Amino acid sequence: MKKLLKKSILYGFLLIISLEILVRVFYLGKDNPTRYLDQYEVEKWKPNQQGFSVTGNRRQNFSEYKINSSGFNSYREFTPTKDKVEIAIVGDSFIEGFHQDYFNSIGKKVEGLLPETEAYEYGYAGYDMADQLHLIYKYKEQFDAIDHVVIYIRFSDDLMRNTYTIVKDRLALESPINKALKKSKLLVYTKSIGVFTPIKQLISKIRGFVKGKTPKKKTSRLNEVNQEKDNEYIDNFKSLTSTYGYDKNRFVLLLDAKTTSPIFISYLKENHFDYIDFSEAFETSDQATTLIYDQHWNNHGRDIIATLISNYLRDK
Amino acid sequence: MLFNSLEYIIFLPLVFLGYWFFFNKKLKAQNLFLVIVSYFFYGFWDWRFLFLILASTIVDFFVGQRIYSSTTHRKKKIWLWFSVLFNIGLLGFFKYYNFFIDSWIDLISIFGYELRSTWTLKIILPVGVSFYTFQTMSYSFDIYHKKIKPTRDFISFATFVSFFPQLVAGPIERASNLLPQILNKRTFRYNQAVDGLKLIVWGFFKKLVIADALAPIVDDIFTNYTQYSSGTLMTGVFFFAFQIYGDFSGYSDIAIGTAKLFGIELSPNFKFPYFSRNIAEFWRRWHISLSRWFRDYLYIPLGGSKVSTWISTRNVFIIFLVSGFWHGANWTFIVWGAIHALMFLPLFLTNNNRNHLSTTIAEKTILPSVREFFQVITTFILVTFSWIFFRAESLTHAWKYLKAIFINDNILGYNNPFGYRMIDYYVIIVLFVIYEYCIRKDERAPFNFKSRYVRFLIYAILLLAILLFYDDQIDRSFIYFQF
Repeated sequence: MKKLLKKSILYGFLLIISLEILVRVFYLGKDNPTRYLDQYEVEKWKPNQQGFSVTGNRRQNFSEYKINSSGFNSYREFTPTKDKVEIAIVGDSFIEGFHQDYFNSIGKKVEGLLPETEAYEYGYAGYDMADQLHLIYKYKEQFDAIDHVVIYIRFSDDLMRNTYTIVKDRLALESPINKALKKSKLLVYTKSIGVFTPIKQLISKIRGFVKGKTPKKKTSRLNEVNQEKDNEYIDNFKSLTSTYGYDKNRFVLLLDAKTTSPIFISYLKENHFDYIDFSEAFETSDQATTLIYDQHWNNHGRDIIATLISNYLRDK
Repeated sequence: MLFNSLEYIIFLPLVFLGYWFFFNKKLKAQNLFLVIVSYFFYGFWDWRFLFLILASTIVDFFVGQRIYSSTTHRKKKIWLWFSVLFNIGLLGFFKYYNFFIDSWIDLISIFGYELRSTWTLKIILPVGVSFYTFQTMSYSFDIYHKKIKPTRDFISFATFVSFFPQLVAGPIERASNLLPQILNKRTFRYNQAVDGLKLIVWGFFKKLVIADALAPIVDDIFTNYTQYSSGTLMTGVFFFAFQIYGDFSGYSDIAIGTAKLFGIELSPNFKFPYFSRNIAEFWRRWHISLSRWFRDYLYIPLGGSKVSTWISTRNVFIIFLVSGFWHGANWTFIVWGAIHALMFLPLFLTNNNRNHLSTTIAEKTILPSVREFFQVITTFILVTFSWIFFRAESLTHAWKYLKAIFINDNILGYNNPFGYRMIDYYVIIVLFVIYEYCIRKDERAPFNFKSRYVRFLIYAILLLAILLFYDDQIDRSFIYFQF
């Protein structure tokens, strides 16, 4: 019996080591760049990192990222001057683009469509409107030199805050223990494919059982609640733009009008906030616009976004 | 509790350690512990099911003693019928009641009478009821045929009925095989436990990589068959052949392996059925415990093959139809059984059904002969064709699917709805078949390689494959649980 236990532990350990090697050999686990908070309390990636992002069990999406000296995933450095024409594209993971090769990004496509223009992508996964306007506000000098600023916004989850505060949960990912765990590619890989989901579910089930929690009944006041939420988000938008500033002449929002509250759209129109709506272009597209393995835009989707941005800037 | 659930991964080592460290002193303690954990395992689905298994256990425990103590043959027979009727009654009510009501209404409607299906009941089919009722019946049969004596130890008998590794999907054990093991104290044997662990690993691979990876594709093709090309529809049924094999034989391997961990040897259930050279051999290699049950307790009592050709042909049909019907309350299973009967009949009538009794393909060579190769391919095609009826929701569905194979003129290739590369599935199936071919001589030793380095490499590759095909979104229950 003791022999079996000893051997099982030994075999288990050796198998974990072998799997770690195999995961590394086949590059199944993604690289994790380091994040940090800069001197302006802006959260971004540590400058000058490079690696590969992997999605899916069997490496279904594999792309290269390159963090520039400004701390954003981009093929170029951000050096805005008054002499050149520059465009900043600010947003979350859709703009950050770890799901695409950094040399095939939306910015690169915009540059292809608008020669003699430089596109700077300020994308960071998890950024909301507060993060974005806070970034622009803190790097005012840099952004003042940029001719056009496109801000990607998802109404459903980007306007939940009315002021910027540091997101501690995200930065907690850089804790020493998390950093140490991330060194194991096997752990990163198994986590990304959901191997630990049943463990999490079991823990929450046990917690619920111990606390005697029962699921709450859904409210029937759904429309009322939605309207309340819409109003709250619009108030947050007003608060953020007044706190951190919003230059209506240079700034434009990039959004999907189909998933955005009509009240917010009306508000934007009434108050002369420009926006680029990509909903129709996506809907009428004869090809898929998002990746199969995750929700982000695929190459075709990024082509459409780049075209819409270029057309808007040309018309302006 | 599913074998492939986190709960079971926690449950099994705890029970294993408890069994050998704390309850290994006395036989009674071993069996009582096994009954308690088996009831916990079974009650994890729905505690109400426990009453049913307890009722079946109590009835057959006492009926067994009555059969044995009865002095006249007539009385023995009455008690045997009591056991059979009770167990078949359980099955009939929980599994077939609604089927009979609906079939009756359909039949009546042929003659122009319209009946509303108000008699059907909302009955949940208790997991594993088809398996443990057959197991308890085998106990009564074996006592009746004087193969065993009834036990007077209720806890041991309850262990025999509810032994958790094989409780919900077999192998269906005979009292003559399992009960003597339960009535004797088990001692820990290192080699047996290691063999058990190996079988568990192999079973998990078959379930998680082969069956679970193919399941969403099969479901998609069978649901949307009108949209797909003939080639895709054939791929769907080809994949189902491997899905059901991986699912059920994977379960059996985990069950047999788990039982070994507790010092118990279960009967074999699968012996590489897709390497069979004819349908008769297929049935000696597929769901062996069920085939043998029907052979011993139905086919032989009906006269088997030692009667006239007409009667024995009738017996063949009865055994295949009942076997099909055992799988589920649906005409599709009955037709599936009938197809197998029709495929078996030519072999039976020409006395070729007992060919290849004890040999495997390429018994003394590395590669099969051309003849063997074509025999295996032909048998596989026939079996795969029959799976259409097994997998379809209804006879109409099966018929339309079959028709679509011949008439669908869509020539577009199949794109996995979840976006995965299709080539991955073909590669894994080919590798699986090659590996099974290499180990074809002993289904209980999937890693029988002399070099420990080779064995270790295979374990690592299997674990990697489990990760490569792992999907936390899909329904991971076993197909045979619904039977």
